[in-house]
Amino acid sequence: MSASNSNPSGVNRREFLVRLGVTGALIAGSGLAAKKLWTPNHFVPGFEKEKGLQLKSYAPEISKVMPSLAIAHGTEHEKTIRAAMGLLGGMERFIQRGDVVMIKPNVAFDRPPALAATTHPDALRAVAKLCFEAGASKVIVADNPINSPTGCFFKSGLTAVAAEMNLDLMYPETNSFAPLSLDGEVLKEWTFFNTPFKKANKVIGLAPCKDHNLCHASMTTKNWYGLLGGRRNQFHQHIHSIVSDFALMMKPTLVILDGMNVLMSNGPTGGRLSDVKPMNTIVAGTDMVSVDAYGYSHLLERDIAELTYLHKAQERGLGNINWKDTLYKEVTV
Amino acid sequence: MATEKKSGAGNRRQFVRTRVPLAERVASVVIVVLLAAIGVAIAIKGKHFNPDLFAVRTDSLKSTAVAVAGKGGTASSATVAAPVPEISSEKKPSAAEEPAPDGGAEPAAAASKPALKNEPLEIALAGIKPMSDTEFYNSDNLYEKIDGRSPAYQSFNVQQLRCRSFSVLAAPGSFVDVYEYRFDSPVDAFGMFALERDPKGRSLDFAADGYSGEMGYFYRQGAVYVQIIASDVKPETLALTKAIAQNRMQDLPADDHGLAGRRKLPADGMLADSVAFVPENAQGQATFKEVFQAKYKFDGAELPFFIMVAPPDDAAKAWQSFQDFCGKFGTTEKLPDVNGAKIFRAQVFGKWKVVYQRAGELGGVFDAADANLARSFIEKYLRGEIK
Repeated sequence: MSASNSNPSGVNRREFLVRLGVTGALIAGSGLAAKKLWTPNHFVPGFEKEKGLQLKSYAPEISKVMPSLAIAHGTEHEKTIRAAMGLLGGMERFIQRGDVVMIKPNVAFDRPPALAATTHPDALRAVAKLCFEAGASKVIVADNPINSPTGCFFKSGLTAVAAEMNLDLMYPETNSFAPLSLDGEVLKEWTFFNTPFKKANKVIGLAPCKDHNLCHASMTTKNWYGLLGGRRNQFHQHIHSIVSDFALMMKPTLVILDGMNVLMSNGPTGGRLSDVKPMNTIVAGTDMVSVDAYGYSHLLERDIAELTYLHKAQERGLGNINWKDTLYKEVTV
Repeated sequence: MATEKKSGAGNRRQFVRTRVPLAERVASVVIVVLLAAIGVAIAIKGKHFNPDLFAVRTDSLKSTAVAVAGKGGTASSATVAAPVPEISSEKKPSAAEEPAPDGGAEPAAAASKPALKNEPLEIALAGIKPMSDTEFYNSDNLYEKIDGRSPAYQSFNVQQLRCRSFSVLAAPGSFVDVYEYRFDSPVDAFGMFALERDPKGRSLDFAADGYSGEMGYFYRQGAVYVQIIASDVKPETLALTKAIAQNRMQDLPADDHGLAGRRKLPADGMLADSVAFVPENAQGQATFKEVFQAKYKFDGAELPFFIMVAPPDDAAKAWQSFQDFCGKFGTTEKLPDVNGAKIFRAQVFGKWKVVYQRAGELGGVFDAADANLARSFIEKYLRGEIK
């Protein structure tokens, strides 16, 4: 008779050890699999302790000697943007060799470039060129227009620039979004166009300067609105609060306001050349509140006192609305 | 040897499994492997959305067709029948619907609502080719096309936007965008049109309420505010932009209902870009509704002039009420009647008003610096010398 048969339990020592080993391996494997599959800070709506994505700061170190705001006047995009960046210490101050740069244009509408409702292709071309010259390994261009992204990028002329400059044009897709958590005035938890931020280590906002039907003006701060997903039009009820929240949400490497041709009326869509006024100015800086303050008062030629969202941002310590109190330089090329 | 029974076991035999057959072992391993494979497959599939795996049952979408029809990336207008109510068949207005009798308000029954149809925007012109399907938006989802601009259109009761882009075959890369904003009434369409009017626009010879800019054509026809926008200023593109504008003008039904005041504004001396529509509370008066106003060059000065058309009793009450109102904040003076029109002159906060009422027509010059000039303009208008 075999040893196993002599054991009343039906399990001999060897089999017991094998079963014990298999069970242990299964438990350890399950633990490892659970650890692998577990998402840290997993976002569950309604559970406040569990937070969604929180964007890191892409801002450069604050300098006490280098300007934080540059204003350049000129007639050509590239020369004027180059001059503005020169005042800030060159693109090399912000972009280093090997960096992956995300440029966030405003491509909210399928309008042709001349109508100044979207980031101008010449502005994108110039900024991308400067990034590559500074050593960027890749430049990503991304925005989330509510309307058809392909149509908006095509008609605004940015698709052509992306192809010409070998830029990585990133359209929003179903799985491009992640929940974002923010302790904003109205922006708490919202779906966010996250994919570009997984790849980029530098972020540049490149916005046109334009009139806006609801919040008076769309400039570099309002530009980040294009990263939100979902039915974001519901924020129109609290437009100044949400725009001021963007100064909290995004800490970009740099923002550039394209004031070469300004949409002075019937914004944000425009539609007539008569709405557009050539102002021949580029404003660049690290403080979007200062940049927008200059844009509103000097490019849209309006009273800064009425731009509520900038005042909200200033009151929350998110920027300096008194741009003249910052380190700034101005040049005409 | 008798088997010893355990307490409580009864007559049942104690089960002792002494051997697991090979077939069971193999079957269990296969099941575990299959379960693991299924788990891995689910995890991989779950990370990659494949829209081809999900067939859309278009019948189930009919109730939401208004929201999705024509929107890029959702159900196409071709597959989703739009259950939008067809208010009426589109037709040119009959004589009965044409302008109201002189001096009287237009009968409400004559109001012809435009049809709301999700018909593709087809333009039979050589040299253009559609770039995409026709897009349709209603008041609720208009923001998907024009985002922050949509509240302005909603304030004038926009019902639908139908739009489509056409490439210009003779100019590679060029295109023309056609936007047709359909409103609740011609008055609403005019209101939005006037709000966005280009002060430098050139009048059109094919549309009374219209102008052209450097890159587009903008006009109101019936309850539709049409925008034809070129991508650039190449001659080929601009020529087709104009051709499309004329084509759409012919295709859309004429309807000036509610715009009697607009038609009464005299053309002599009018600054073409100055026509405006005030839906209510014009001149700060609750009784002044659907008022049209424009500026006129008259004897070297610029005079703002307004007109409202209402039932005669209402017009008379509004005229009297306005005179009383002016008396509270300034001085008023009754002037002699002209051609059956009652007239008063008032000075309020240093500016002059000369206001008349004749049957169902109420109008006047306001904010004039020169009282005599304002009076002269009104008297000439009432005598038919300014047409």
